[in-house]
Amino acid sequence: MNALNKLHTKLAMVVDDSPVQRKVLSKLLVEEGYRVCTAVDGANAVYIYQQEKPDLVLMDINMPVMNGYQAATRIKALSVNSLCPMVFITSMNTDQAFIDAIDAGGDGILVRPFSPEVFKAKIKSIQRLSDMFMQLKYLQQAQQKDAELAEQLMSGVIEARNYARERIGILKKPAELFSGDIQLTSLSPNGNINVLLGDFTGHGLRSSIGAIPLAETFRTMTKKGFSLLEIVKQVNRQLTDLLPADLFLAAAFVSVSSHENSAYIFNAGLPDCYLFDALGNIKTKVVSKHPPIGVLPALLPDSSIDVINVANDDHLLLLSDGIVEARNCAGEMYDFERFERAVKQGILNNDICNTVLVSVNAFCQGMTQEDDISLISIPCGGWQTSHISRQETKIKSSEPSYLESLEPTHHNEKPEWTWRLLLTGKKLAKVNPIPMAINQIHDIENNDQHWQNLYTVLTELFVNALDHGVLGLSSELKDSAQGFAQYFAEREQRLSTLDSGFIDMSLAYFALNEGGKVKLTFKDSGQGFNYQKMMQEVPNNIANENKLSGRGIGLIKQLCSDLHYSDKGSKVEACYVW
Amino acid sequence: MSVTSKLSENQRDLRISVKDRFDFSLHQQFRDSYANHKITGAQYTIDLSQTTYMDSSALGMILLLKDHVESLKGKLIIDKPNSSVKKILEIAQFHRLMDVVE
Repeated sequence: MNALNKLHTKLAMVVDDSPVQRKVLSKLLVEEGYRVCTAVDGANAVYIYQQEKPDLVLMDINMPVMNGYQAATRIKALSVNSLCPMVFITSMNTDQAFIDAIDAGGDGILVRPFSPEVFKAKIKSIQRLSDMFMQLKYLQQAQQKDAELAEQLMSGVIEARNYARERIGILKKPAELFSGDIQLTSLSPNGNINVLLGDFTGHGLRSSIGAIPLAETFRTMTKKGFSLLEIVKQVNRQLTDLLPADLFLAAAFVSVSSHENSAYIFNAGLPDCYLFDALGNIKTKVVSKHPPIGVLPALLPDSSIDVINVANDDHLLLLSDGIVEARNCAGEMYDFERFERAVKQGILNNDICNTVLVSVNAFCQGMTQEDDISLISIPCGGWQTSHISRQETKIKSSEPSYLESLEPTHHNEKPEWTWRLLLTGKKLAKVNPIPMAINQIHDIENNDQHWQNLYTVLTELFVNALDHGVLGLSSELKDSAQGFAQYFAEREQRLSTLDSGFIDMSLAYFALNEGGKVKLTFKDSGQGFNYQKMMQEVPNNIANENKLSGRGIGLIKQLCSDLHYSDKGSKVEACYVW
Repeated sequence: MSVTSKLSENQRDLRISVKDRFDFSLHQQFRDSYANHKITGAQYTIDLSQTTYMDSSALGMILLLKDHVESLKGKLIIDKPNSSVKKILEIAQFHRLMDVVE
């Protein structure tokens, strides 16, 4: 509809108890292109307004039954969703008449006598205001629709795909419909739980354009088994390219490994991440050590992941600044102390997120929320256990049959395909071959659940070859909690100066009558080790073993049908059968 | 005006002061305070001594100024943040991106 057509169809209502006045005003309005309806008093005007919904009202003040002010108040109450511009027409040229007219909801007043030109000019100016209001209304609705779509996308597509939503507590309270906060959880093939809490600059739709690529990258790389630092680097590159300079993501990336009793944390711009014990005491805080993601084209050169020891009944908490900066009516901030007390209470109540929410709400007393509030609580234990126990039952039930039926025949069989990678020197520190290997398998043999186990075996064997073979680190360091962190520091240091050595890895795939077999071979440039001793010491049931080191080999022994060391321990072959 | 700027006589020193709340509502004012200053090698100082609160969009605005300064091979300094503003800068690790002085 063009502007002219629209104008022609506009309906004006003239309210006056004088037939002459109604006629005069109606004529002027028709000349301006309006259709006209009339009412004889205030009560009649309210009735006709409801019937006709006019676009403009001209209101006399002194009328019988209901005067103009009363009628105006009622009509304004009925027209919450449209401006319904209203002009009072009166002969009372007093200040009070002006004030009362505006108080009653009028948008203007015309004092008699006036010329037809003045009347028409007034109508035009009121109409201009009304058109602007409608345009604003239209834009608001369009924006609301966009925000609803984005919200649906975020909750339905991005966050509905989160892993273990029943175990990981997530609290999210956007300041506007659409939140700049994003919460992602995903399972890594080695059983680690990767979690991200991110806070995009600002709020609303603008702050969320990075959410979809971020979620995609985070999930895909986690599933393919990339390390946490690799994921952070890639996300940073992507967001720096994608977002304008003033949009960025403050985020904490976390990977919880219950099998290593560790959590890996990269905090870039969020408040401290907390580790609480089962009684609600703070064990560790991990401070932000890097500017937010998407600010610098590459991470700062000294960037590293914080590694902390976690116990099974610990909880890791990630929060955005919205919680601690929430204010009450006195302008005080909720702050860290109240937050820490609420978490302690929440741990004792066994419901951290809700306890914190109740506490924040009680503090704010209904003050408008300025920033998105979000919190993630991650239980540190119970992840790997379920993973392994599933494996145990599976292997136990199938072991005798394949050992009998397959062992003699597959000796001389040729693999259907093999894949080999030889990494040397500096590349060993830079390239993670595991996602490549897994990708090869996915590409050739399709996606399947049991590749997760194969991933675990591959990772453990590669890490052993790199850490103990090429880098010559002693696993004894890992026997104590402090040693674990020291081990990682030493590992970082040796990796950064690495310029010799090699790891030669290969995969061979054999199809069997039912299922198949992958033979993995790793040869490293290290000195080897006393593998006979280790093989005797490695516990058969790692679930009951509290020792921190040697767990990797225990896991491999459980998952593989065959584990065989040679070349003084610098070469290992393992067979994974399903 | 919440954002005021003062240019030294030799035009090599631009000081931008932000009063009270430094948030998204100052977007245009903040940008206007430096957009026309295009002299290479100058020093830009953001005076936060009067700033009581700063949100993440303010950090974004500072990053936009940083881009402007770097394109002119200048130097950017954040001056005298109060303790709560300093905490926000610290969490965002802005001292790794520019000079923050007290």
